[in-house]
Amino acid sequence: MKEVISGNHAVSYGAMLSRAQVISAYPITPQTQIVEMLSEFCRTGQLKAKFIKVESEHSALAACIGASIAGARAFTATSAQGLALMHELIHWAANGRLPLVMADVNRSMAPGWSIWTDQNDSLSQRDTGWLQLYCESNQEVVDSIIQAYRIAETISLPVMVVLDAFVLSHTSEAVDIPSIKLVDKFLPPYRPKYKMDLNHPLAFGALVTPDYNFELKYKIQEAMEQGLITAQKVDKEFKRFFGRSYGIIEPYKCNGAEIILVTSGTITSTTRDVIDELRKQNEKIGLLKIRLFRPFPAEAVVKVLEDCKKVAVIDRNIGYGVGGIFCQEIKASFCNYRKRPQIFGYITGIGGRDVTPDTIKEIIQHSRKNNKADNKINYIGLRK
Amino acid sequence: MKFNIPQEEYVYSGHLGCPGCGGALAMRLALKALGKKTMVVLPACCWSIINGAFPYSAVSLPLFHTAFETAGSVSSGIRAALDILGKKDITVLSWAGDGGTFDIGLQALSGAAERNDDFIHICYDNEAYMNTGIQRSSATPWGAWTTTTPTIKEQPKKNMMEIMAAHRIPYAATATVAYPDDFIRKLKEAKQIKGTRFIHVLVCCPPGWKCLSEHSIKLTRMAVDSGIFPLYEIKNGLKYTLNKPHHIPPDDKLVRLYLKSQGRFSNLTEKDIKKIVVTVQQEWHKLVNRERWVYI
Amino acid sequence: MKSLMQLPPTAISTETTLYNKTGSWRNFRPVYKNRLPPCNNTCPSCEKIQGYIDLLNQSTILSNLRKAWDLLTANNPFPAICGRVCFHPCEESCNRNDYDEPIGIRHIERFIGDAGLNNSFKWKFPGINKAYKIAIIGGGPAGLACAYHLRRLGYQSTIFESDDRLGGLLTQGIPSYRLPQNIVRAEINRIIKSGIKVRLNTRIGKNYDFEKLISKYNAIFIAIGAHRERKLNIAGEDNPSVIPAFRLLYNLSRKRKINIGYRVGIIGGGNAAMDAARSVLRAGKKPIIIYRRTENEMPAITDEIHEAKEEGIEFIFLAAPERIIIRNNKIVALECIRMKLGPADKSGRRKPIPIRNSNFQVKLDTIIPAIGEEVDTSFLPDFLRTGDNKIKVSDNGISTIKRGIFAGGDAVTGPKTIVEALGAGKKSANLIHHYLKKKTLASAETEKQVAFEELNMAYFEHQPRTQPSKLVLSKRLHSFREVSQGYDIKQVSHESNRCFSCGVCNKCDNCFVFCPDMSVVKKNGKYEYNYDYCKGCAICVVECPRNAIALIEEEK
Repeated sequence: MKEVISGNHAVSYGAMLSRAQVISAYPITPQTQIVEMLSEFCRTGQLKAKFIKVESEHSALAACIGASIAGARAFTATSAQGLALMHELIHWAANGRLPLVMADVNRSMAPGWSIWTDQNDSLSQRDTGWLQLYCESNQEVVDSIIQAYRIAETISLPVMVVLDAFVLSHTSEAVDIPSIKLVDKFLPPYRPKYKMDLNHPLAFGALVTPDYNFELKYKIQEAMEQGLITAQKVDKEFKRFFGRSYGIIEPYKCNGAEIILVTSGTITSTTRDVIDELRKQNEKIGLLKIRLFRPFPAEAVVKVLEDCKKVAVIDRNIGYGVGGIFCQEIKASFCNYRKRPQIFGYITGIGGRDVTPDTIKEIIQHSRKNNKADNKINYIGLRK
Repeated sequence: MKFNIPQEEYVYSGHLGCPGCGGALAMRLALKALGKKTMVVLPACCWSIINGAFPYSAVSLPLFHTAFETAGSVSSGIRAALDILGKKDITVLSWAGDGGTFDIGLQALSGAAERNDDFIHICYDNEAYMNTGIQRSSATPWGAWTTTTPTIKEQPKKNMMEIMAAHRIPYAATATVAYPDDFIRKLKEAKQIKGTRFIHVLVCCPPGWKCLSEHSIKLTRMAVDSGIFPLYEIKNGLKYTLNKPHHIPPDDKLVRLYLKSQGRFSNLTEKDIKKIVVTVQQEWHKLVNRERWVYI
Repeated sequence: MKSLMQLPPTAISTETTLYNKTGSWRNFRPVYKNRLPPCNNTCPSCEKIQGYIDLLNQSTILSNLRKAWDLLTANNPFPAICGRVCFHPCEESCNRNDYDEPIGIRHIERFIGDAGLNNSFKWKFPGINKAYKIAIIGGGPAGLACAYHLRRLGYQSTIFESDDRLGGLLTQGIPSYRLPQNIVRAEINRIIKSGIKVRLNTRIGKNYDFEKLISKYNAIFIAIGAHRERKLNIAGEDNPSVIPAFRLLYNLSRKRKINIGYRVGIIGGGNAAMDAARSVLRAGKKPIIIYRRTENEMPAITDEIHEAKEEGIEFIFLAAPERIIIRNNKIVALECIRMKLGPADKSGRRKPIPIRNSNFQVKLDTIIPAIGEEVDTSFLPDFLRTGDNKIKVSDNGISTIKRGIFAGGDAVTGPKTIVEALGAGKKSANLIHHYLKKKTLASAETEKQVAFEELNMAYFEHQPRTQPSKLVLSKRLHSFREVSQGYDIKQVSHESNRCFSCGVCNKCDNCFVFCPDMSVVKKNGKYEYNYDYCKGCAICVVECPRNAIALIEEEK
């Protein structure tokens, strides 16, 4: 059923269709509409869930962790400061192998206060053991939440679905809302192997000495690697059910491209328009969208990019002291390869600075102009 | 006089509690009171270690180790899940030390209490961060030595009962392991009530209080009998019932003996002791007056 | 250690901590070790007082009554008697004295004794070993006890009693308002019926030759008591109106008429003096007790003194008799001299010293000296006698210089108490048994009794001692009806519950409740330590209300 909904409401629909059983969230701009609509779903009975109106994000994630270990499907959503406040427990959820799904609305970290988008908040959590999916459209948001539960409950790791503040969260688009009957078929009820159960009492999370910790942490990495495969499988199956799929990366018009732009989030859809325009002018230019950032699909990325001459990675984030984080990951992917394109790193759009087609064109021009990429960070749109 | 204690055990021997650990005994008694249909939430505290390292557990019921601040929030989450899964007759027991209740855990507990989430929070209070090596907490009494208050602690013990009462939760009570009948009665009563229930149990930590392990029970009894830690209940945040010392004013001599019997109070001067005696009197009188409140 | 394959996905514990034998942490270990309660230790007849009281503080009091009776009578065949007249050193030593008031042990004993009589409880003794014949001279408490304990061991004895009935002081010297005679008869008959031979009206040395006794019997126990009147040694003592207390009480017990005037002066401060005074009161006379020290020094049982005062009997303290004033062969007065208390004498009491020229007179018609008796050992060979006419014994207090001849009771010690005589009879029976079987007596370990400071009062609330009901004063004054009514069953239960059970485990559960390591295990009603896990914190040792747990060092 098609409806015009905002990105935030798309999140709400995703959680509702996934039959989340316990929702626990704390409001923060630009996430508030997510929880408001979920409250409404609970009130009307469309969603049979317990909604815990916690008093902070730290408690929100804690309550989700509790709910999950007790055997319920749990959901939360947050942004920036809230996500940062949760950090300790973000580790906890992954180390505890709990299949939580959280929506993060990418928002710039304070101080100064910002409600506009960049990716530093979610990327700060990249080493915690959560999978991360970066969405380009509201449709993708709904679909990714549903996929996320399927992935999470298969590999027992939590999944973060990320969307840009305002550009997606508060922007309405036409979305085909999946039928709940179909979702039920795609996503069966949550039946964990390990949970708090009087009939089978266990203790979770005890002290782990050096004798065991290495192996347990190794298992997380092992699950992550499994996640790479599972994410693709789930996406393919999603297509069979709902007719839509996104891949873990999406090459767009990369055939024969000499320059490939690498993007994530809403910058991707802006870039698509520029690529279309330039291709019409017979420019050999393409786009690689990174959807699954964790686990990083290095092999797939290398395969797409290895044959082109130049790669222009567009980061809407700054890994302070290093540079764009996506760029760093891609450079690392190529580290041991003989065939390596010139990788140019661009940082733009920080703190909600608008990324327009002109911004993209400026990036393309810059990469065209320079034959050798250095390790310099190229800031686009910065007023120097 | 014989205690009427349920006989079934829910804690195994072999746990890592120090000899004479009041906290170990408190868990043992609490689970006896609450029975088999209980799940335990265990934030960072001495019991995180007492329960044993992976792959062992001393508690025979389902137990979840959780982050230090999250007793209240994780318990709320577990409760919500159990309710939505139709398991409404399982008691969620949030078991935290003074750190996880008074200090780092205060926010989550306050949030849960304000929502009146349905679980029992028991704070087993040994009056300092004992697990990390005897550092002061807001539960440390005025005048006590700790490693971070190497002379004396100069702030009074935070009144957690008043804080919980301010949330108007249906039931709050103090207790101690030296009066096991009273502790168990209160838990059995709490179990019948829906909503946030709070029990503040005083337990002795022999290494932290600098006393002999064999005096563990004797000292907590003395704390009650001297009026330093009176046993009382608060229903709905307003109805006070004083259990012990029962309408007998606190005993100065006993207060002094209590202080003298523990190495952690050895830095007190006579002036300090007098101040403590007066404070104990004042607090007790406050309680007696509260008990007289009449409300509709 | 688990392999990667065996490990769960995260830290999920599936095993218990029971693998961890924390007993290895210990430096000291607690051990259940019952200790000696002061009541048991003080009882001259070695009654297991704590034991029978423990049986009566349960809700199963009725079904335990028989067990309690069996336990008590194993050491004392006369609970109904002792419950009424014993001077209860057990109560003096009771640790509850230091907390509030001692346990009413004698009232509990009386209850058990009366229950034994009312229910006709009987003993089951082994068959009699006819190879041995034992003679007991004297059918008073010591002799009767010896015969009883010998019978328990399977021996038959013959009691030679000079009077027309058994009992000694029990049937001669104690008035029935204190000790009803039917009770005495019943308890004595009970032991005789179990297989003891008696020859009444047989005085050794007069009706029967002592040497003959020695030749005919394998062992002899001499328990002739102290029945020779001691003189006041004052002028006028020979007057017929001077009636020694002993004779007065004897005649009363035989229901013979005695001629006594109205104003009766009783000289002395012991039980006999109280008995005489109160008996005389009941005969409608006016008794006046004259004692040379103060009330504090009076050896009589405190209750007796108290009851005498209640009954209105006059006391004159710090006065000693000087001479009796006689006119027309009748006593008109007793001249006394005032005394003051000097330093303590060898009995521990302060010595009375006469105050010069303080003489005064007390108008009296009859004088009853109650100053104690002496022993008459004239029929015995000298080697068995001491310089002051008592029987000479060794350090153990019972064995004489001649093998096979034993002695005990007042005849050895001078006038003392009934229960000490009972104790002597018991000890003698044991010694005779060892003598006959040619066994050596094992030396008893001296154990320290439990002191009050060693108990934990946190588990006891203050409770006053239960008082037995007494006959109303108006009913007392003109009859010999028993004054003390004893306890009813509720009172026994209540009073038994006050017992601390010093040093002896009574399954209060404290050790079980307070162990942080679940190392106290209850198996088949017994408590055991699980030393695999006990960390030696010693909480149990401190919280045991009765000091029945010892702490011993671990051997490394």
